[in-house]
Amino acid sequence: MKQVKLSNEILSRITAMHETKIAENKKKLDNFGGFYNIDDHGFICFDGFTFEADYPDGYDLLFGAKCIGENLGRFFKELPVYIHQKSALAGAWAGFFQNFVKIGYRPEDHAAHLKPLHEKYGFLQNGIGGMNHLGPDMEIGFSLGLRGILKKIRRYQARNHPAGEDFYAGEAAVMEGIIAYTENHMHYAHKLASEVTDNWEKQNYTQIAEALENLLVGPPSTFREACQFLAIFQSVDRTYFGGGALGQLDELLRPFYEEDKAAGSLTDEEAIWMVASLFYNDTHYSQIGGQTPDGEKELTSDVSFLILQAAYELAIPYNLAVRVFEGSDDRLLRRALMYILEKGSGPCFSLSQGVEDGFVKQGHPRELARMRAKVGCNWVALPGIEYPLQDVTRLNMAWAFHYALDEVIAGGQPSTEKLWEHFASHLAVMVDTISEGYDWHYETVSRNTPELVLNLFCHGPIERGINSAIGGVDILNLNIDAIALATVADSFAAIELRVEKEKKLTWDEMYNTVRNNYKDSENIRLMLKNIPRFGHPESLALPWALRIRDEYVRLVADKPTKKHNLKMVPGMFSHGDVYMYGEKLPATPNGRFDGEPISHSNEPDPGFASGVVSFSPSLKATAVAEAQPGYGNSAPLHLDIDTNMVKTAGGIDALCALIHTHNKMGGTLINLNCITPEQIKAAHENPESHPDLVVRVTGYSAFFASLSQEYRQQVVDRYLS
Amino acid sequence: MSKGLKGSIFDIQTFSAYDGPGVRTVVFFQGCNMKCAWCHNPESWASDPPPVFLSEKCISCSACAGLCRAREIDGVPDASICKRCMRCCDVCYAGALIRPLRKMTASELWKLLSVDKPYFDSSGGGITFSGGECMLQADFLAEIVNICLENKVHTAIDTAGHVPYEWLKMVSPDLFLYDIKASSPLRHKELTGVDGILVWENLRRLTEDGFELIVRVPCVPGANLDELPEIGARLRELGIEKIELLPYHSLGAGKSKAYGVGTLIYTVPSEEEMQQARKALFITERNYQTYETG
Repeated sequence: MKQVKLSNEILSRITAMHETKIAENKKKLDNFGGFYNIDDHGFICFDGFTFEADYPDGYDLLFGAKCIGENLGRFFKELPVYIHQKSALAGAWAGFFQNFVKIGYRPEDHAAHLKPLHEKYGFLQNGIGGMNHLGPDMEIGFSLGLRGILKKIRRYQARNHPAGEDFYAGEAAVMEGIIAYTENHMHYAHKLASEVTDNWEKQNYTQIAEALENLLVGPPSTFREACQFLAIFQSVDRTYFGGGALGQLDELLRPFYEEDKAAGSLTDEEAIWMVASLFYNDTHYSQIGGQTPDGEKELTSDVSFLILQAAYELAIPYNLAVRVFEGSDDRLLRRALMYILEKGSGPCFSLSQGVEDGFVKQGHPRELARMRAKVGCNWVALPGIEYPLQDVTRLNMAWAFHYALDEVIAGGQPSTEKLWEHFASHLAVMVDTISEGYDWHYETVSRNTPELVLNLFCHGPIERGINSAIGGVDILNLNIDAIALATVADSFAAIELRVEKEKKLTWDEMYNTVRNNYKDSENIRLMLKNIPRFGHPESLALPWALRIRDEYVRLVADKPTKKHNLKMVPGMFSHGDVYMYGEKLPATPNGRFDGEPISHSNEPDPGFASGVVSFSPSLKATAVAEAQPGYGNSAPLHLDIDTNMVKTAGGIDALCALIHTHNKMGGTLINLNCITPEQIKAAHENPESHPDLVVRVTGYSAFFASLSQEYRQQVVDRYLS
Repeated sequence: MSKGLKGSIFDIQTFSAYDGPGVRTVVFFQGCNMKCAWCHNPESWASDPPPVFLSEKCISCSACAGLCRAREIDGVPDASICKRCMRCCDVCYAGALIRPLRKMTASELWKLLSVDKPYFDSSGGGITFSGGECMLQADFLAEIVNICLENKVHTAIDTAGHVPYEWLKMVSPDLFLYDIKASSPLRHKELTGVDGILVWENLRRLTEDGFELIVRVPCVPGANLDELPEIGARLRELGIEKIELLPYHSLGAGKSKAYGVGTLIYTVPSEEEMQQARKALFITERNYQTYETG
């Protein structure tokens, strides 16, 4: 589909939303002390809005389905109303529910028994209480409508009585709150329609009110109503623990688009405006493109292109993924790349080969694997069927290395083989710690913080009367994310090269220098740091990286959790938390000082290429593909490419080839930024002068100016490596 | 069969979208027999250069001091007495003293190049040998080109063509990227140090012998723009249709200090100058369109 030529009227509406977003962002930065390192999310700062929670007797904390559900439902009823003057849709959220109330685990359900191990191994995210890391199936909402979901809750409540009373009470209260929230906006839209004098605005507010009225009596029946339904969902889903997934957005909207187009009630540019309004409402994760479950048909349609263009025109951070598979029609991919080259960032690319092969390896059919959608920062899931808990743990392997190094020196006659044995032993303890935590999570999360919103849009929880985390959905495959692969692999390689092969240093010299944080030993630090590092084709670190990966994968995938036999899946993803996880970690033999950041996920460190071999995207991509954990969860490749490298006749062809090759090699996700080093440096020095600059931080994108100095530095380092 | 020859390589850049079709790895050979005033790789000129000193990386650890007479004085190594032993580079972990080139056999080079084969395969790309003047190491070049051929990897030679024709024929890559910088012998000599007669003669013979080639013409305001109409006429006479313009950039100027070689600084051509250049060389829009989408 060709790019739609937008009228000035539509462009002005989208531009107005863009400008409001910039203004709102500035307000948020003021409220949050100058930065926030997460997605833009699109919430509105409603000055003066407060909420008084009804805490249970004896607690100053909300927990459990009924207790949270009743408060959350009331919160939705009391939320301020919001309609942007130029938007096609009503609704906004006001920030996380937990910013307004105390909510979480009761003290008696805290995993106190695991605390010593969590502290020893630096587990800052241990998975216990992990929320919202599953994907909803919005078809459930589209077929039942708001009141239909409430009816479903009542029906199954009666059928399963007396089981699940607390659960159903909570779910019903949330649903009633969502309906009230919708009603409030309907009344508000009517009120605005009666107040304004501008004809278009009057008509628009009336149409918004009518769409909301229709949604209060039945499922959506038009493109606009479908978008409005999603906007309501986004607002409530994000409010509760930051949920953020829509699923396969083009396929969700396609039937409405085709029907409205055939009826002559929708133009392409109106569709773009409506989707832009949806993205203005929030930046939930969604996917376009891909294949039908049988692999016979591409999912790319005109709607895929319209969604992509809507995001491009709005020009704010958005979390859209283009699915790429071998043999896919590249027109959508090429359009996405064209937008990225023009704007600097855009959608990310979810790669079928690694995502699907890994899921098949878990024992699922290929047809099911094709249905997985990218619905989170790095993660993919079967909408409404799978509880994968990706991105809620960080297993910092550098801690295993740290203790191993101490022990191998203390034991005498050190060698890299002995160091490996100690490392593998600590790694096993770390995996077991997460495993035990997941058993604890399984036992406790539903009575503390159930998935009250996402349960409504999953297959099973309402029918069974149980939270998705304990078998409400069919597939529980709990992910563990290891991090710092390059930090550890480069440390092994540095010791192997400088101590064992070249004998430039003794073990004691190396150890004492590292433990003294390289004090007065800059030359030794550089000797250890400046080896051919992981990612360099001649590096000794690659075999170490693969050995570490294999051992980690074996430890995770070979056995389920001890108590409840839950399946665990190995992943590697650090989000942008490499500073946080390096902060307390002492110096490492890869030349890293105390407290410096660790390496990202399974990626090489910036500056890994040296000598006769220059840095290139393909070298980095090859390393990331080779070191994938291989079980279908994304270990992303971050590519920050100097636009000058690719803005030529063959630039897009080269990027297409890079993406397809990474897919073929087993890669899972590519996050791409394309701007010049000069632009990024200038924006880093003076962020406020570049309020419009959007970058892909990792699986999510954000305004560059919104990020902390450390997060901005990560992006800059990637560019200049 | 390896002849054990060693080539002198100063850089390998993977994932290039410039030098030939598809995704390419570009291998830069040391040594050049021209001295183009605008050269963006002046580090390639000398065939046996001394270590490169990057002052901003020096941590004053003194590890290199006293290793040889050339290193007795702080700062830039004294190239006139440097014996090119490179021991100072071996002890400089800060990366301030770096080897200007690496000597390797064709099989060693192939090991480095082969890592990007999946990208060549999926893009119709391959390997481009550049420099410097890669043809000055013709025997080695022929060996590595043969290895590429055996492994079904496309090869391109980026050459200025000032070598015996037999050398070009011996190497026989899939594609020649053939640089033409001026037409008149006088201007050619003035701009590059050689008169260009052999360059044009070799181009004629390559064309006659049916080699696949793209002629590449640098576009340097203040240097060769006035030569372009004549270049265009002669290329037309030879029946050459595949022509690319290489707009001047100033990257080479930044390297002058580190490598102790001098290049002149020119201005980057304006879009108007590029348009005129395209016209002079009969380049139509289809040859330079940046990118399109469906």
